[in-house]
Amino acid sequence: MESFIIALLNGTIYGLLLFMVSAGLTLIFGMMGVLNFAHASFYMLGAYFAYALHKPLGFWAALVVAPLLVGLVGVVVERFFLRRVHHHGHAHELLLTFGLSFIIAESIKLVFGNFPVDFSVPKSLEFAAFTLGRSSYPFYRLFMGGVAMAMFVLIYLLLTRTRVGIVVRSAIYKPQMAEALGHNVPLVFMGVFGVGAALAGLAGAVAGAFYTTNPNMAIELGVMVFVVVVVGGLGSLEGAMLASLLIGIITSVAVGIDTSLADLLALVGAGAWAREVGGLLTLKVSSLAATIPFALMLLILLVRPSGLMGEKA
Amino acid sequence: MTTLRTIALAAITTVTLGPGVAQAAPVKIGLLETLSGPQASTGQTFRAGVRYAIDKMNAAGGWNGEPVQLVEYDNQGGPAGAADKLKAAIADGVQIVVQGASSAIAGQITEDVRKHNLRSPGKEIVFINVGAEALELTGEKCNFHHFRITGNAQVRTKVLVQGMKRAKALGSKVYSINQNYSWGQDMERAIVDNAALGGYTVVEKTLHDVNKIQDFAPYITKISASGAETVITGNWSNDLLLMMKAAKAAGLKADFGTTFLDQPGNISNAGETAVGHYIVHVFNGEAGGDEGARFVADYTAKTGHAPVFVEGQTVFALDMVADALKRTQPAGGTLDVNAFARAMETARIRTPMGWMSMRAADHQVLLPMVVSTVSKDAKYKVDGTDMGFKPVKIYSADEAALPVQQSCKMQRPG
Repeated sequence: MESFIIALLNGTIYGLLLFMVSAGLTLIFGMMGVLNFAHASFYMLGAYFAYALHKPLGFWAALVVAPLLVGLVGVVVERFFLRRVHHHGHAHELLLTFGLSFIIAESIKLVFGNFPVDFSVPKSLEFAAFTLGRSSYPFYRLFMGGVAMAMFVLIYLLLTRTRVGIVVRSAIYKPQMAEALGHNVPLVFMGVFGVGAALAGLAGAVAGAFYTTNPNMAIELGVMVFVVVVVGGLGSLEGAMLASLLIGIITSVAVGIDTSLADLLALVGAGAWAREVGGLLTLKVSSLAATIPFALMLLILLVRPSGLMGEKA
Repeated sequence: MTTLRTIALAAITTVTLGPGVAQAAPVKIGLLETLSGPQASTGQTFRAGVRYAIDKMNAAGGWNGEPVQLVEYDNQGGPAGAADKLKAAIADGVQIVVQGASSAIAGQITEDVRKHNLRSPGKEIVFINVGAEALELTGEKCNFHHFRITGNAQVRTKVLVQGMKRAKALGSKVYSINQNYSWGQDMERAIVDNAALGGYTVVEKTLHDVNKIQDFAPYITKISASGAETVITGNWSNDLLLMMKAAKAAGLKADFGTTFLDQPGNISNAGETAVGHYIVHVFNGEAGGDEGARFVADYTAKTGHAPVFVEGQTVFALDMVADALKRTQPAGGTLDVNAFARAMETARIRTPMGWMSMRAADHQVLLPMVVSTVSKDAKYKVDGTDMGFKPVKIYSADEAALPVQQSCKMQRPG
C-alpha cells in the first residue's frame, strides 16, 4: 500500500513536470498551428542558464532569471526567424524549428561540453518532506509539483479571466478577425511564443537541478512531451494537464507491476503454454514502463485522433 | 576525338597505377565511433584514447618506417550509420577498424567485417573492439577478424562481486537492475550466476528501457520496498546518473555495485551519495602504483586531462595492436591483415595494471580488472570534486578469466 501511494505521488509529480513543458508547446501549437520542434530545446536552455547563473546569483535568483532569458530567446526566435517564414506556410516553420533544435543542442555542447554539468539541488532544499514505510519522500519533488500547479492555475486564470486572455484566445482562434478589430496580432504571437518558451525554461531550471543537466535532455524529454500533447489534444491546455498526469501515473505505477500476459493466461489455465511460447507473453509490464505512453498515443490516435480534450477537427 | 582518347587513356593509366601508388601508403586505422548525437560523449572518450595511443605508436617509429594514419568516421550512434561508414572506410583503404561504444553497433561491424572478408580474400580488414561487451561478440558471433580488448558482463560481475565481498560491502540481498538489451541482459544473467560466489540472493530483477527514462523514482521505490542491501547494475550514461540521483533524493540506504560509474559527470552529479559505491573497471591510476602514475602524468601532459572512463582501456587495446604490428613483417610494402591477425592472437603486453594477453580461441582478451570504491582518500580526484576511485584490489588476468564460450566456433583462414 505504501509503495502504491509513493508510486502515485511519483507519477503525479513527474506528470506535472511534463505539463510544465507541454503547456508552452500546446499553446504555441494552438497559435501557429505548427509543432515547435525546438520547444524541448527551450527546456534545456532553461536548465543550462540556471546552471550558469546559480553560482553568481544564487539558486533562487537563477530560477527567476533563467526563464526570463529563455523567454527572451523565444521572442527573438519568433520575431526574427519564424515571422519571416510564416507566409511560406507551416512546412517552413516546422523545418525552421527543427533546424533550430539542432543548433541549440550543438551550441550547448560547444559551450558547456558533452558531459552532464554539476548542477544539483541546493543543500538547504535537500531534505525529506515525510517518511512513509521504508522510503523518505524528497521535499524538492513536492516543490516541483507545486511550481507546476501554480503555473497551471496562473495560465488558466490569465487565459480565461483577463482581457489579455480574451485577446490571446481570439488571436489564436481567428487571427484575421482579431487583427481587423484593431489588435496587434503579431505582437500577441510574439508574446505567447515568449511566454511558452519561458515556461519550458522554468521547467528546465527546476528539473535540471533535480534530474541532470546534459546536452541530451531536450531529446529525452522532447519525445515524451510530444506524446503528451498528442494524447491531450493539440492546443488544449486542460488536455495537456490531463494527459501529463495520466502518462506520469501510468509509467510510475507500471514499474511496480511484475506480472506478464502469461500470468494473466495462467488464470484460465494456459500459463504453462504461454511461458513456453515466451516472447511478448512473458514480458513483464515493468520492463515496458517507458514504452506504455507510446502505446497509449497509438490507441488515442486510433480511437480519438483529436486527443482527449482536443477540438474536433 | 583525339583529345577524348587521350583523356580516356590518361584515366586508364591512373586507374591501373592507382593500386601501385596505394601500396606504398601507410597503414590506416579507421576509428568508427559515435562522434555526434546523444551518445557522442562516449564516442569522443574512446577517440581521445585512440588518438593518444596512435601518437605514441608513431613516436615509436610507426610501422614499416612510416607513421600509422588515423582516419576518423562518425557512425552517428547507430548500426546503420556504422555499416555505411565501414564501406567508406574500406574504400579509403582502412585495414584496421576500431570501435567501442555500444554492442549493437559492434554487432553490426563484426558481421559486416566477416562478410567483407569472405567476399574479398586478400583484402581483409580486422576489427579491434575496444569497448563493446555483449557476450555474443565472442560467442556465436566470434570470428577470426574480431578482437575484443575489454571485459564482458561475466568477467566484470565475477570480479565486482569478489571485490565487494572482500570489502565487506556486499549485502546478502541483491537487487539487479539493468537496461533491456544485449548488454543489460548479459549483466542480469551474470548477477544471477554469481549469487553462490558472492553468497547473496537476488531479491528482484528489473530490466528497463535504455536511456529513455527521465524519472527513476518509481524504480527506487521498488528497490527500497524489496529490502535490498546492494544494487548491482550495468547501467551507463544517463540511466546510471539519474538512478543515483533518484536514490540520493529518496535516501535509499543501499550500496551500488556498478560497471561504468567512472563516466565523467557521474560523481559530481551524485555528490556525497556516491561515497561507498563500487565499480569494476580496467584502469585505475592509483592501483597501478608508480607505473600508473607515470601513465596518468604522460596522458595528462599529452591530452590535457587525466585518463578517465574507457580511455585507459582504449590505450591498452591500441598498445596491443602496436605490439602485433611490430611483429608483422610487411609483405610487398603493405600490411598482410591475416598475418597481423595471427600476431594479434599472440599479443601480450604489460600495462600498469599487469599483464594482458589475447586468447586465440575466441579472441577475448585476458586482462586484469580493478575493483574500486568512491572515496575522499583516493589519489586522483574526478569531476572537480574531492572524491575519486580508491582501489580495493586488482584481480590478475588469470583470476578474472572465464572459460571460452561453447558457442564460439572460430574459423581460421587456410
